[in-house]
Amino acid sequence: MNRVRRWFTCCAAVVLAVGMVWTDGAAAADDTVAFYANITAVEPIMEAFTAATGIKGEYTRISTAKFLSTVFTEFEAGKLMADVIQAPLPVLEMLKDKGVISDYVSPEAAAYPDWANKNGIQLFGIEYVGLIYNTELVNPEDVPKRYQDLADPKWKDKIVMANPASHATTIGWLIGLKEHVFASEAEWRDFLKGLAANNPMLVASFGPTPAPIESGEKQIGISMPKYIVTKAPAPLDWARVENQPLMGTPRAMGISSKAPHPEAAKKFMDYWLSKDAMSLLATKVGEYVLTPGVFPPIDGMDQAQVIPIRELSDDEIATWGEEFKKIFALR
Amino acid sequence: MSGKHTNLTYLLIALVGFLTVCPVVMLGFGSLSEGLTATGTFTLAKYASAYSDPALLEVIWNTVIFVVGAAITATTLALFLAYLNIRTDIPCKFIFGIISIIPMMIPHILFSVSWALLLNPSNGILNLVLKELFFLDSAPFNIYSLPGMIMVEGLLDLPIAYLIIAPAMAAFDASLEESSRVCGASTAKTIFRITLPVLRPAILAAFILCVIRGLASFAVPSVIGMPGRIYVLATHLYQMVSTGFAADYGKAAAVGMSVLLTSIVLIYLYRHLTSAGERFVTIAGRGYKPTIIKLYRSKIPLFIILGILSFILIVLPVVVLVYTSLVPYSMVPSARAFSMMSLKHWVDVLNDPISLLSLKNSLFLGVFGATIGIVLSIFVAYVIVKVRTRAAGVLESLSFLSFSFPGIVIGVGFMWFFVRTPLYATIWALLIGYIATYLPYGIRPLSSAFVQIHNHLEESSLVSGASYLTTLRRIVIPLLIPGIVSGWVLMATMFVRELSLSVVLSRPGTEVLAVQILRFSEDGLWGRLSALGIMMIGISTLLVITVTMIGNLFRPADT
Repeated sequence: MNRVRRWFTCCAAVVLAVGMVWTDGAAAADDTVAFYANITAVEPIMEAFTAATGIKGEYTRISTAKFLSTVFTEFEAGKLMADVIQAPLPVLEMLKDKGVISDYVSPEAAAYPDWANKNGIQLFGIEYVGLIYNTELVNPEDVPKRYQDLADPKWKDKIVMANPASHATTIGWLIGLKEHVFASEAEWRDFLKGLAANNPMLVASFGPTPAPIESGEKQIGISMPKYIVTKAPAPLDWARVENQPLMGTPRAMGISSKAPHPEAAKKFMDYWLSKDAMSLLATKVGEYVLTPGVFPPIDGMDQAQVIPIRELSDDEIATWGEEFKKIFALR
Repeated sequence: MSGKHTNLTYLLIALVGFLTVCPVVMLGFGSLSEGLTATGTFTLAKYASAYSDPALLEVIWNTVIFVVGAAITATTLALFLAYLNIRTDIPCKFIFGIISIIPMMIPHILFSVSWALLLNPSNGILNLVLKELFFLDSAPFNIYSLPGMIMVEGLLDLPIAYLIIAPAMAAFDASLEESSRVCGASTAKTIFRITLPVLRPAILAAFILCVIRGLASFAVPSVIGMPGRIYVLATHLYQMVSTGFAADYGKAAAVGMSVLLTSIVLIYLYRHLTSAGERFVTIAGRGYKPTIIKLYRSKIPLFIILGILSFILIVLPVVVLVYTSLVPYSMVPSARAFSMMSLKHWVDVLNDPISLLSLKNSLFLGVFGATIGIVLSIFVAYVIVKVRTRAAGVLESLSFLSFSFPGIVIGVGFMWFFVRTPLYATIWALLIGYIATYLPYGIRPLSSAFVQIHNHLEESSLVSGASYLTTLRRIVIPLLIPGIVSGWVLMATMFVRELSLSVVLSRPGTEVLAVQILRFSEDGLWGRLSALGIMMIGISTLLVITVTMIGNLFRPADT
C-alpha cells in the first residue's frame, strides 16, 4: 500500500503544479480593448489594430441569440467588460435604449453615408444574403436570374436555407423580398409557396448553409456571398439577380457607456471604421462594407445593389415566423 | 460511525448543493422575472406562454421516442460490448475498449455531421455505395429521420453506458453464474436470470443517465433533426431563444423546469428499483474472482460481428473526419478529391494562437477538473450507496440538478450566478461549472461499483482498528479502481469537449476547444474544424490510455 500512497501523492502534486502553472498565463494585460461582437473571422483586423496602435485587441464572439442576455446581465451587475460592442442594428438599438451604448461619433464616420450614423450607433456593413450555388452542378443557363426562379420545380430537393420560422435574419430577408422585390403581396406569397413546395433543407442558421452546397448534397441555397471568399477554392458562386437588390441586416457598432478602457475604445472604433480596416474586412472575410469604393473580392459584387432591410421588431419577427411556419408546413 | 456519516452527508449536501443549486435557482428566478435577466419583477407570463404552445405536445412525443430509443440503443450496445470485452476471451479487447469510448471524445456536432455525410439521401457516401452495389433507384437510408437521430445519439451516449456497465461487469463474481450452470441452466438462461439481474443497478444507472443526456442533447437534434423537420425539446428551446434578437432564456428555463422534474422522478425511480442493495453485492469478504468465459467456436464469428459493428458505427465517422480535414472543402470522395488533399487545415490550426490556447486550457480543465471531480464523486457515491438515508437521497438528487437542465439554458444560469462572484470570466468559473454540471459522470460509475462491495469488508477493517479514512484508502478505493478510472475518463473527456457552459462563460484568455470548434462551425470551416476535432480526440485518447494504465497499476490482484 505504500506504493499506492506514493503514486497518489505524486499524481496529486503533479496535477496541482500543472494547475498552478496553467492558470498563471491567464493574467490580463493593462493596455487592452475588449470587443464583443457577433461578426465572425475578424482576427486579421484585431491583429492589424494591435500592430498599428500597440493596444491589444481582445475579441469575444457572442452569438446573436446570447448577445442581449450576456450584455444586459453584465451591465446590470456592473461587470460589463466590453469596450466596443458590435451586433445587428436591432440589438444595438435595444442596448442604446437601456443606456449601454455611448454617444461617441468617430471622425471616420464622416466617410460613411448619413443614414449609417444613428447617434452613437455606427453602421459599417450589411450582412448581405444572396443565392449561392455549386458551379460544378448547376449549368450556367440554369442559374436563377431572378429570386422568383427559386420557386421553379426544377429546384425540388436541391435547396438549402436557414429555418424561416426561427432564423431572424432569414425572416427579415423574406420580408425584404416582399417590400423591395415583389410587386404585390399575392405574388410574394406565391413565390413562398413555390419555394416551400421545393422542400428546402432547413438548417439552424447561415453557418451550416454552404457545406451541403459545396459537397453537392444540395445545389443552391439562400446564404451569404461572403462564403465564396472564406471557402475558396470551393466551387461556389452567386446568382446575379437582374435589377433586383441583395439585402441584409445592417451591421452596427458602438462604444459602451461604461467602457473600462474608454480611450482605447475610441481608438479601436476609429481604426475599425478606417478604410484600411474595412478593406481587410472586405478582402479577408468577404464582408460587404459601407466604406465608399471598398468591395469584397467577388466577381460582379461592385456592380450589385446591396441594401439594408427594414428593422423588424421582435414581435414582428415572431409573427412572421409563425406565418412562415404555416407556409413551409413546419410543426 | 453513524455520527460521522451524518456529518459527511450534510457537508456534501452543502457543497454539492451550493455548486448545483445556485445556477438552477437563478434560472428559476429568470423564468419568473419580466425582461431578459433574472432580476425583473415577478411574472408567471413565461410559464403561461411556454406551456400554451400547441406544438409542445408533438415536441414532447418526439422527445420521448428520441431519448428512450437512444438510451435503449446505447445501453444494449454497451452491454454487448462490455460483456464480450470484459467477461470473454474475445481477441483485441484493448482496441474494442478504446473504440467503445471514442464517441465520447468527438465533438458531437462533428460526429453528427460525419453521419450526415455518410447517410444523407442526396449523396451520402454509404448510400451511394449501397445504390451502386444493389442497383437501387433511390437512397436506402435517410439520416434526417427519427431512427437516424436515435442511432447517432445512441452511439454518442454509448461510452456513458459502457463506462458505467464495464466496471460492474469487471467486479462480477463468476461463481454466481457457475452455480446457475451447475444447476443445469443454459447460457442464455444464466444471462437472463443471473447476469442481467445482478447488473441491474449499473444497467439502470446507464439507461437513466443516457435518458437525461438525450434530453439535454443539442447537436443531433440540430444537425440531423432540423433538416428532417423533426423537433425535440432541445430544438424547440433553440427556436424559442433564436426567433428574434431579444432571446428570452427565462421562458426557455420555464420549459427546462419540466425536464428537471422528469430527471428527479427518474432518479427516485432508480433508487426505488435498486433499494434492496444487498442483492447486488458481488464482492464480499470471501474473495471473488471475475473469471473469463471461453467463447470456443463463437469466438471468431463474434469477433467479426464486433469488428464490423465497430468499423461501421464508430471508425467510419472518424475516417470521414480525417478525410474532411485533408480536402480543401466538403467534397464527395473521388480521384480529384484525393489529388487535392493537403495538410493546409492542420497548418492553419497549428498556426492559430487561439486554437493552441484553447488546446492548453481544455487539457488543463480535463486533467485538473476531472481529478477534483472524481475525489468529490468518491465521497458523494459512498454516501449515496452506503448511507442510504433520506438525506443521501437528497444528495443524489442535488448532484443531478445542473446536469438535468438542457445545455442550451444551463450555461445562462451559470452566467447569472457567476456574474455576482469574483470568479466571473476566469478559468475557475469554467472549472467549477464543469464539475457542478457533470458530477453524475463521476458519481454513477462509482455508485454502481460501490453497490457491489459488501459492507463486511469495511467492517472487518474497522474492527481491526483502522480509521475510517484508512479503510477508505486501503480497502475501498483499490476495489473501486475500475469505477474511478471510468468516472475520471467520463469527466475528463467531457470537460475536453464541453460546450454548453463554455460558450457562455469563456472569454479572451479562457478559450476552450469546443468554443473554438463552434467558431469554425459557424464560419463553415469544416476542414479546420475536423483537424481540431481530431486533435481533441488525440488528447482524450492519450488521457484515457494514461489513466487506464495508472488504474491497472493500482488494481488489486485477481487471486
